[in-house]
Amino acid sequence: MKPLTQIATKILAAFRKRDQRSLRKLNDEVLKLAGIDRDKVCFDLAIYSYVLSKVVSKPRYLDKEYEQSLKGIAQVFQMIVDKMESPDQDELIALFSDLENALAHLEEKDPRFIVDLVTKGRLKMAATLYAQGIGLGVAAEMTGLDKQEILDYAGETMMFDRLKEEMTIEERLKNARKFLSG
Amino acid sequence: MTKDILCDSGVLISLTAGCLDRMIYFFSETQKVRFIIPPSVEYETVTKPMQANLRKHLFSAIRIKDAIEDGVVSVVDAKLERETNKIMSCANNLFYIKGSPIRLMQYGESEMLALGQELGIDYILIDERTTRLLIEAPFHLKQHLETEFQTNVMVNKGNFKELASRISTFKALRSSELVMLAYEKGYFKNFNGLEKQALEAALYKMKYSGCSISFDEILDYVTRVG
Repeated sequence: MKPLTQIATKILAAFRKRDQRSLRKLNDEVLKLAGIDRDKVCFDLAIYSYVLSKVVSKPRYLDKEYEQSLKGIAQVFQMIVDKMESPDQDELIALFSDLENALAHLEEKDPRFIVDLVTKGRLKMAATLYAQGIGLGVAAEMTGLDKQEILDYAGETMMFDRLKEEMTIEERLKNARKFLSG
Repeated sequence: MTKDILCDSGVLISLTAGCLDRMIYFFSETQKVRFIIPPSVEYETVTKPMQANLRKHLFSAIRIKDAIEDGVVSVVDAKLERETNKIMSCANNLFYIKGSPIRLMQYGESEMLALGQELGIDYILIDERTTRLLIEAPFHLKQHLETEFQTNVMVNKGNFKELASRISTFKALRSSELVMLAYEKGYFKNFNGLEKQALEAALYKMKYSGCSISFDEILDYVTRVG
């Protein structure tokens, strides 16, 4: 079994157990792989492990009225796991679209935010890739999001405080003043 | 004498979204600064949000369009596909993790650098951190990647030299430095008695919009002007 298939299997098991902590850990694991491999399936797994962790963290989704929707999500994810080793990647990618639809169906009963869970997942993944050192444009391209969406998200994190700059602000200003003085 | 500076899409959007786009006019009028963008930046900041009706960014797009029509932001199309691809290829085959190259740069960012090279422009206004680090401290970026991915990062020396010969002479400014310069040149004077607070607020606005500046750097500057 390929490492990605193992991760997908674990994601499904954690979702069925409504185990948010494990889902977040699996998300970290798969995201690191996505940054290096840039594999579409790997990236989708990173997004959906995050989204599923958000779903199980919300008490309202544990109500009976959402039971069928959650079952439907698990069924689509099971199909993804079953197709992980299939040479037909298009079929697998189509299943991720089905998963997105199943999640949209879950949210449409009681929408709370303008940005849906999957877009939020994409945003979080893109910002993480950018924080890791992947270019902003590349992160935008991989997720289909706008650069500014990612910048807005990144601006609300501590990513620019965690990496010490090599130049001081005074050195930067020296350059800036030099520019103006022509 | 006109002073040319290349402008990244992120900076333009942050300035307009932060209601600081008049600063572009201020520099254009008082300091004769010409803000130059390649077509890809115009597409990203104006055409795409307007065509796709991206509600969140529509107002910024209209304001940038206005600045282009007013001539304070100039779109320069130098048709530099070959050089753009060369820069992009060097950057994206520079660092390797476990034998795989790390993709660091996209066409838009490479096109901007190629344009700067072609026009002989030394200064670049950019909030995006990865491209900025590639310009001013590529080994710092390598170390960062090693920390994040907890593994060794290998460098392709040939591509490193090629890339450095093309981009290392650029001097990168962030939107935060533009705000600081604006303050020093009197842009905030109209805020009678609140100039320093306005400066600080504007710097935080840029940070929250994604400008790669730290809280410590803001504090450092604000303390200096004290």
